[in-house]
Amino acid sequence: MRFVSFRPASSMLATVALLLIANAPSQAQTRAETLRYVTGASVNTLDPNIPGSTRESFALSMSTYDRLVAFGRKQLNGKWVFDLDTITGELAESYDVSPDGLKLTFRLRKDAKFQDGSPVTADDVKWSLDRCVTAPILGKAQLLTGSLTSADQFKVIDPLTIEVTLPKPDKLALPNLATVYPMIINSKVAKEHATADDPWATAWLKEHTAGSGAYVVETFKPGEQVILKRDESWNRGSANKPAFFKRVIVQSVPEPATRANLVERGDADIVVDLQASDVQSLEAKGKLKVISTPQYNAITFVSMNNQIPPFDNVNVRRAIAFALPYDDMFKAALFGRGAPLFGASWPDGKPVNGIYPFQAPVKTDLDKAREYLKAAGLPEGFATTFSFNVGQASTAEPMASLVKESLAKIGIKVDIQKLPDAQMSTQINEKKLPFFTEGIVAWLPSTDYFYRNFYTGNQRWNYSSINNPELAAIAQEARFEPDKAKYEDDGRKLNAIHFSEMPQIPLWQPNQDAVMASSIEGYTYEFHRQVDYRDVSRK
Amino acid sequence: MMTGLGATMIRAGRRLLSSLPALFGVLVFTFLLMRVLPGDPAVFFASGPNAGKEEIEQIRKQMGLNRSVPEQLVFYLSDIGHGNLGRSMMTGQPVLKDLRERLPASLELTFTALLIALIAAVPLGVAAALRPGSIVDHGVRLFCALGVCVPTFVSGLLLIYVFYYLLGLAPDPTGRIDVFTSLPPQRTGFLSIDFLLAGDFEGWWAACKQLVLPAVSMALFVIAPLARITRASMLVSLGSDFVRTARSVGLSWRKVVVTYALRNAILPVITIAGIVFSTMLGANVLVEKVFSWPGVASYALDALLSSDYAPVQGFVLLMASLFVLVNLVVDVCYGIADPRVSIE
Repeated sequence: MRFVSFRPASSMLATVALLLIANAPSQAQTRAETLRYVTGASVNTLDPNIPGSTRESFALSMSTYDRLVAFGRKQLNGKWVFDLDTITGELAESYDVSPDGLKLTFRLRKDAKFQDGSPVTADDVKWSLDRCVTAPILGKAQLLTGSLTSADQFKVIDPLTIEVTLPKPDKLALPNLATVYPMIINSKVAKEHATADDPWATAWLKEHTAGSGAYVVETFKPGEQVILKRDESWNRGSANKPAFFKRVIVQSVPEPATRANLVERGDADIVVDLQASDVQSLEAKGKLKVISTPQYNAITFVSMNNQIPPFDNVNVRRAIAFALPYDDMFKAALFGRGAPLFGASWPDGKPVNGIYPFQAPVKTDLDKAREYLKAAGLPEGFATTFSFNVGQASTAEPMASLVKESLAKIGIKVDIQKLPDAQMSTQINEKKLPFFTEGIVAWLPSTDYFYRNFYTGNQRWNYSSINNPELAAIAQEARFEPDKAKYEDDGRKLNAIHFSEMPQIPLWQPNQDAVMASSIEGYTYEFHRQVDYRDVSRK
Repeated sequence: MMTGLGATMIRAGRRLLSSLPALFGVLVFTFLLMRVLPGDPAVFFASGPNAGKEEIEQIRKQMGLNRSVPEQLVFYLSDIGHGNLGRSMMTGQPVLKDLRERLPASLELTFTALLIALIAAVPLGVAAALRPGSIVDHGVRLFCALGVCVPTFVSGLLLIYVFYYLLGLAPDPTGRIDVFTSLPPQRTGFLSIDFLLAGDFEGWWAACKQLVLPAVSMALFVIAPLARITRASMLVSLGSDFVRTARSVGLSWRKVVVTYALRNAILPVITIAGIVFSTMLGANVLVEKVFSWPGVASYALDALLSSDYAPVQGFVLLMASLFVLVNLVVDVCYGIADPRVSIE
């Protein structure tokens, strides 16, 4: 009897022991070949086209799907950043632009395969691009900025060639195809999950992937984490190799102090969204690699509603521009981590170039501000509110109190309004806020793109509600201007109008601080402001 | 005996029925409250770089906001009737699925915290009651005051700093389990139980280690009410006739304190524990945030900040139902312990 009862126990013990031994080395190996990326927000959809998708979802889709083309990279002050002007092939082996600029021809790689093993064909490309301009998804509005609006523009020439026709030569057509949305989907798989109500399978693709990207989704827990596995057959990386890391863990850690602790203790490999103060102290300790890149496609600004009195008076706007305490704000909000857009000197009073955002010749000059107020007929000042959203409180709060203090000196009474994010976006959309701070990002940072999207029309992103026909006309014209010198000239004109009208006051471009283990290499600042997992490797 | 049990069951059933109008009220109230709050969720969610009017309209339609409020309410109530709590814009998942996945995490954390709190609070309260006004009593009072006045996220961050960052004793404070550990097959949703059922002791140990810091920082906050109640009811109990009698017949100190005094004093402690439990479940949002704990409270807070209606409504409904349930259990226990309660 005793023997019988003894045996199962001993065999169970042996099994446990075996399991322990078998587990230990494999786990150690996994750690070195795994990238653990911690972030504040979370991946909420596997298809970045879904309205409401987060930046983390954008980054994820870059690795799970391929696009026809990709941005190259360049060095900016010694740091790698994405390069809008070099477009390289991703699924396309090569591409041609016709001499008149109206036809783009893409030849697909013969060896490109979807993650289910089927080859990537021109039909899949057409279906995916059609989806992007036809389905009610985010890609539609983005591709519009590159004159891609209708499915008729995409034509399959042969199984490996696809042609895109444009109504006008548009500089942004090609770069648009490298952005997040026009990803190439396995159309056979997607069609299997399409329904009569949902012909583009948006519901299914939200929770599943059918791509040809460098990584396959292993587990997806919205709000918590995503685990990715390398696709060994993917060879679109640098030197035609698969991505470096075998596994990638994208994990949401809402508390910024905890993210800083994790990366400092070596439990996380890379993190991008830390508080400026934490980055500063981590940098000072010198154990980790800190790569700070000014977000050259982003701007933080103070905006005034050009339709609401007294901000409809240009002299009031100018008065504000000379009353803001720029240096103190820059230090208090960002610890000076970024590129300032104030304090320039324009020798002959004209813009030095046609690039937007530009560094404006404004600085704190209270006497000048008082003169402008007098010219506006408000020598005694006025009362207004200054709003910012809770999500940006860590930088906007100190900024707001400095604005209040400084404007009080010229008689402007400021009431600080801290709004929940949803409330702030609603009020901006309804054009109800007179005076506030916000930040913007453009994926395709060209001068005309900025001006068209943020300074024209009665739409949400025209924060200052500026309505200047001259500015709108030049921005529209510049879009299709093939001549580089003329384009530059248009840019100068736009910048000159901006400075004289002062619809809003650009403050700075905050740094993207990427903090990573010293063994991580290859980090590049990407247009979507997240880490592209394919870029990085471990020494 | 049978009739007693039967009566209790009937009483419980009646209580449950009578709580339905309250639940319905909570449902309608939350629904209206969410609509009254400023901020248009559609605008918030359409915040992509190029989202314009068309996208906003589309999201509004998707969330059902294009209908009038009374219409929305009718649709909402009929959805609830069909067991459908709507879909979260944040996670893109049905709210019911989100809550089902996250509730065990919150429950596991809260149960553990409550257990730790009770284990600490009852001896503290007893010690304080045995020598009222002594150094020990003052010490306990000081400890309780400290526990209550330090907010949970402060104690959480402090614990992380000391035990994870400085000493390296605790595992990294993110989530319920180390990301490199594979999960056991899900049965109860409680990791500490699922690992045991799967016979994976290493995983069980990892899950337990992960649980300690958040549970302790939550426990610190609720030790005070539990210890104070223990002290008060112990004082009453120690001064009562039966304890005096027990002492006078020469029973051992241990027997008097533990068997006679404490056993009689514990009933109010259990009542308070029930209430503390239901408040903790909703109020541990800060602990969940600090420790990236995938629970229901942090989920509801995120939803509230982004005006994501469905999850907030679902969460409130869940909390109300749990509160009704906990009250019912406490009630039934009382009825069993003290039959006079059942007389109507």
